[in-house]
Amino acid sequence: MFSKNKPMWGKKPPLKSSYDVVIIGGGLHSLATAYYLTKEYGITDIAIIEKNYIGFGGAGRNTAIVRANQRTQYNVPLYKEALDLWPVLTKDLDYNLMFNNCGNLNLMHSEAAMKAARMTIATAQFHGVESHLIDAKQAKELVPALNISEDITFPIHGAMFHPPGGVLRHDAVVWGLARAAAAKGVQIHQQTEALGIGTQNGKVASVTTSRGAINTKQVLISAGGYSAALIYDMLGIKLPISVLTIQAMVTQPLKPVLDHVVSSGAYHCYANQTLKGEIATGAHMDPWPNYTTLNTAHYIKHQAEALSEFLPCLRGVRFMRIWGGLADMTPDMAPIMDGNEQVEGFFMDCGWGYFGFKSCSAVGKYMAQFMATNQCPDMLKPFALKRYQEHRLMGETAALVNYTPDN
Amino acid sequence: MALTITCPICGKRNGYEFRFGGEEKGPRPEEEGLTPEAWCDYVHLNKCVAGVQEEWWCHKDGCGSWFKIHRDTTTNLEKEIKTVIEEAGK
Amino acid sequence: MMNRLNHLPTLKIDTARKISFTYKGKIYYGVTGDTIASALFANGVRIFGRSLKYHRPRGLYSLDGECSNTCMQVNGIPNVRCENTLLEDGMVVAEQNVKGSAENDMMSFMDKLDWMMPAGFYYDVMHKPAKLWPVAMKQIRKAAGLGKISPDFKMPGKYDEIFLNTDVCIIGGGPAGMMAALSSAEKGLRVILMESRPWLGGFFEYRSAEYKDGQTLHDRANDLAAQVRARENIRLFTHTACVGTYNNNLVTGFQIGKKSDVFDQRYVEIRAKSVVVAAGCIERPLLFDNNERPGVMQIACALRMAKTYGQLPGTKAVFSIGHDLGLEAAIELHDLGLIIDCVADIREDGQDPALMQKLMDRNIPILKGWVAAKAHGRKVVKKVTLSSIDGLMTRTLACDLVVASAGVTPVTGHITVALGTLKYDGHTGCFLPDRMPEKMYAAGRVLGLNDAMAIEASGTLAGLKAAADCGAGSSEEIGKVAKIVASLPGPARGSKLVTAPVKGRKSFICFDEDATIKNIKQALAKGFDVPELIKRFTATGLGPGQGGIPGHNLPLYVAKYQTLPDVSIRPTNVRPPLVPTLISTYAGTNHTMFKITAMDQMQRKDGGIFRNIGVWQRARYFSDDFSCKKEIENVRNNVGMLDGSTLGKFRIHGPDALKALQRVYVSDMSKVKEGRIKYSAMCNDDGCVMDDGVVVKLGENDYYFTTSTGRAGQTAEWIRYHTRYDGWDFALVNLTDSMGVINLSGPNARKVLEKVVDIDVSNDAFGFSAYREFKIADTIPVRAMRLGFVGELSYELHVPASYMQSVWIMLKEAGKPFNIQNFGVEAQNVLRMEKCHIILGQESEQRTNLLDVGLGFLWDRTKSEAKTVGAVALRQAENDPARLKLVGFKMENNGRAPKDGALIVDTKVRGYVCTARDSFALNEAVGMALVEADLSRIGTRLEIFEDECGDDRIYGTVVKMPFYDPEGKRMKM
Repeated sequence: MFSKNKPMWGKKPPLKSSYDVVIIGGGLHSLATAYYLTKEYGITDIAIIEKNYIGFGGAGRNTAIVRANQRTQYNVPLYKEALDLWPVLTKDLDYNLMFNNCGNLNLMHSEAAMKAARMTIATAQFHGVESHLIDAKQAKELVPALNISEDITFPIHGAMFHPPGGVLRHDAVVWGLARAAAAKGVQIHQQTEALGIGTQNGKVASVTTSRGAINTKQVLISAGGYSAALIYDMLGIKLPISVLTIQAMVTQPLKPVLDHVVSSGAYHCYANQTLKGEIATGAHMDPWPNYTTLNTAHYIKHQAEALSEFLPCLRGVRFMRIWGGLADMTPDMAPIMDGNEQVEGFFMDCGWGYFGFKSCSAVGKYMAQFMATNQCPDMLKPFALKRYQEHRLMGETAALVNYTPDN
Repeated sequence: MALTITCPICGKRNGYEFRFGGEEKGPRPEEEGLTPEAWCDYVHLNKCVAGVQEEWWCHKDGCGSWFKIHRDTTTNLEKEIKTVIEEAGK
Repeated sequence: MMNRLNHLPTLKIDTARKISFTYKGKIYYGVTGDTIASALFANGVRIFGRSLKYHRPRGLYSLDGECSNTCMQVNGIPNVRCENTLLEDGMVVAEQNVKGSAENDMMSFMDKLDWMMPAGFYYDVMHKPAKLWPVAMKQIRKAAGLGKISPDFKMPGKYDEIFLNTDVCIIGGGPAGMMAALSSAEKGLRVILMESRPWLGGFFEYRSAEYKDGQTLHDRANDLAAQVRARENIRLFTHTACVGTYNNNLVTGFQIGKKSDVFDQRYVEIRAKSVVVAAGCIERPLLFDNNERPGVMQIACALRMAKTYGQLPGTKAVFSIGHDLGLEAAIELHDLGLIIDCVADIREDGQDPALMQKLMDRNIPILKGWVAAKAHGRKVVKKVTLSSIDGLMTRTLACDLVVASAGVTPVTGHITVALGTLKYDGHTGCFLPDRMPEKMYAAGRVLGLNDAMAIEASGTLAGLKAAADCGAGSSEEIGKVAKIVASLPGPARGSKLVTAPVKGRKSFICFDEDATIKNIKQALAKGFDVPELIKRFTATGLGPGQGGIPGHNLPLYVAKYQTLPDVSIRPTNVRPPLVPTLISTYAGTNHTMFKITAMDQMQRKDGGIFRNIGVWQRARYFSDDFSCKKEIENVRNNVGMLDGSTLGKFRIHGPDALKALQRVYVSDMSKVKEGRIKYSAMCNDDGCVMDDGVVVKLGENDYYFTTSTGRAGQTAEWIRYHTRYDGWDFALVNLTDSMGVINLSGPNARKVLEKVVDIDVSNDAFGFSAYREFKIADTIPVRAMRLGFVGELSYELHVPASYMQSVWIMLKEAGKPFNIQNFGVEAQNVLRMEKCHIILGQESEQRTNLLDVGLGFLWDRTKSEAKTVGAVALRQAENDPARLKLVGFKMENNGRAPKDGALIVDTKVRGYVCTARDSFALNEAVGMALVEADLSRIGTRLEIFEDECGDDRIYGTVVKMPFYDPEGKRMKM
């Protein structure tokens, strides 16, 4: 059992001149879609084109929190399914994804926030997702490190407690999916850059890459934060997306002190303890679009101020590493999944903001269905690009998320 | 914070004094022949350039003016300096 | 306690001054100037901790905190780098991650189980059967982590912050950094010099080798330090580690306070015009079996232990080195009394002949082309096996110290985190700066230099270049110094071999994570071929040492063995903070961020219970009864007073003021008449309603308007944004903070007001929707509006903030006979809800448009749609049946009010309750909800799903709005 030292995703294959399906981006949504295309539909002639290496982008930079307590009825069922799939995938991939379903506590700092939480909780419960409103004392029992005194900037009124949520090992999901997809024949081309999509009579015909051209009838772009720029460059399709750098950081490793994921909207901060013992924390985005993935002095300081208040014991702990990734934000904080609409054979899966990790398992399944059948599954219909033109924003956030003066 | 923005009135300042105001898309569309597609394009859609783009900023904690700069979105560095708001209107 | 070498000029300790501290419950003594590590070493401690996975004994290695080996729990604070932390009186020090003690760790059997734990093994096991995982996970959590922190731990100490601007910021107080500081300071510029050690001198400071003309490097360092200290325009930050560099030359760090400072640690943030990085080098670990056993040390660790702290690092030593510094250290340590059995040099040739001669003079044997292959000894080093680099010959020697170092690694993190790039240099075997960030210059050993003169000259050059960026100095001068640098010795040839000829099962590439050479090979075999991926798969470099130990070894090793032909050797990413930094230090002083109104103190005295609402603190309740029955009934029956100062208040004037209002408000603002109030709303360009408020006309082209509290901060930007192309001439003044607002409401409001003011406030003279300006007591200017937000006779008095307390007291006094009382935000919320007056954000969300909330009557359709913000979208969406509509409802069978946020459902979610309360005025439960259009007809039954309701539902019925006083008689009386 310990001698499986053969390459996990196959030998490095030469690029073929044609594939049934080409997927641009080697992140979780791409790998999951490829995996489900092979598993559920027997489509195996797939090329994944990745400029760097698999898991380079958001897949390897998120803090791996999963939950299904979204705000609207369109999102909750999708995320619920995603959450339910982790144990299934662990088994099917035969790879330990290290799912720690420790539960999430989302802190509420005002009566207004408690009301907002109540709606989210009711929506979750209506769809069979466990989620409860608890008061500050109950929250303290779950997380003894919490400061529930009145004399902090945002006193804690209570929390939204979501027991089935938790944390996974994000890299394991990347590697597990890649291994399983490769075993079925999917070719993963790393260090290969997609340069363009060729169309003929309004249909996808080819993809050009840094290693040559490929003929194909179906292309999926699911390249995380880079999707919007790629889609505009390759097809001239503009999207309601702003790409921002979002940061996360870890402290030095500690013995267990935090048993749940704790997050706070008012403090712009979440914190959870990884299996290695580090406190992983982050949340805030630069308030202007950029692709730098640079961390900022402003933010690590902000984060320290926030943690000092609501988890004050962490004042004695050291930050060890901070990094940035990209979040492709839409105005309603809900993703765009669409296909065969702008160009026949072209599919997109983007605009996930910082929810890409939580959703990847279920989205892979439904995008695979979409591509294999050319019929949009009901689950994905509300996420079409057209909703913005029809003024039907999804309401996934109460306040508008738009990096213009509109927010 | 590393970003600095050069305000045409106040000079180079810490980026957190400013509010980002979106990609430059030109003035409001004209009424005539306005389609839902064109309106959506104006209101919501972006090019998301990975590179130098022209964009709007407001010096919210300073003089309050709106102005345009060119900034490289891959480095957060300004590229060439600003067109003043008055000129933009002409 | 061992006797220290007392006579050395390089010592940083004062052996006359003893310090007591507690280690593992016993009292120990160190001396002033000791670090925790040097004091423990002096007390005979060799095993400082146990490693993360295998619980291997670990000891001093770099003396610079480059790995977690010597992290300890100090005064309850976990993971303190005891090699960098000065000893203080009364410190309580304990080991980490041990069961028993570091000396006798009951978990040490783990070291034998490494065969069970190949790279990434945890991904392949423990998930089958699924039930096993939760159990295994608990054990993993317990085993992982180093230090402990108690959930109720209170961090002692004072933390401060300082934000500075400067011309030139220099990172590193060694010879290059000091020369850079001096050369830019000579141009009259402001210079900041940061040095992580408590003293200046860096690479020269602890060495007795000759600098020039018989002067030692140590004396030279002191000379330079004196020159630096003498310059008034150099601001010196010693004991200040640089932790981050950012583009546009922002530099952050943290400073350890001295006894005389008012802080224990201080966050330092510097905005510089230009930056010089002179951070020097660390040593590159030599990879051989048991290369981290206590007793194996790097060159500078052994040398500094003697020269700085006055202790010989061992008694009998074997050196295995790849750099002339090793030869120099061997000579110095020999002269201080260390027995050196042998020096193995990886290099076949290229050694400095002068050093070779000195070694021969001292009868120290040297083996060229040899390297340490294995250290022996169960807990500490007892023997070492040396091997020829081809692996054909070996020799085993008894010793208690192995000085092992493959070479040096430039500290380039400051450059790469600011987006500079590195390039692998085959000559030095190092990653050297390639493209530097704008206005940042490297100097000294970071450039691969080793020659003392070259290091200094490169510092001078960098200082001049940095000065030139600030507009000082000449290019001739820079050219001159550049020529000098070019004439001096360049980077020395470095050794490329990083591994001994062993299989590497116990050759540790990363000490923190217990990652071995064998693990790296396993990862390579699994198809991970990019160093960054191997880092993730094996966790190499992800520990508290932050990559110092494996930093360059990993990419070099991978480059050597990977099969890809076309991938250039690239280092793994370094990430800030470059030195682990306390959260308390980053947090600095506490930042309170709320605004208070002029009425804050008086309302608190009156029993106000305050809440944070947006950027403000506001009185939400005036009693413990959060239903606010008394407050509400007093407004309905008598008169109440509310502090509405948080409302946004603006004046807009100038020739194009009306045009600007026409742009952002949906109504026809040309209809605003003097003396009257106009209620209107602003939408965004998606038609969503953003704000509502009133507008009054003060004069020609002169308007005063209010916005909701939440929009006050953005309204000026908003109006200017939406008119940015038009070049209109108007001035916009935000009066939010300079004006206060008192809302005087209730049937007795007029009786109160007429006692205070001189004007006629009768309904005829000052009717509903009217606007008046007057003065109270001939002094206080008041802008008064007849509004009806709470549904009663109501005056909104806008008063200069400085007069607010006076007016408040006058009204309170006048209102006594009419039982005037405070009311808070929650009472107002219920009162206005009974009138179905909406609050944006409560009866709306981001996707709610003007028509959805029933405010369509405000929209003037004769205005140009494209030129009115929001109008185009309103027209496009106005016939969409799928939109949510705001409705009023009553509960069936006199039931209680549902909770705010409850859902309206059938088989699906069909809407939600915005606000609902048990109304005291109506004696029944009423509320407002946003529901799908087909549920919005009067009489429709609403099925309500509350959180925790299980299968129970409650029901309401859609009714006409408003609920209270539908004709509006009371607010117009």
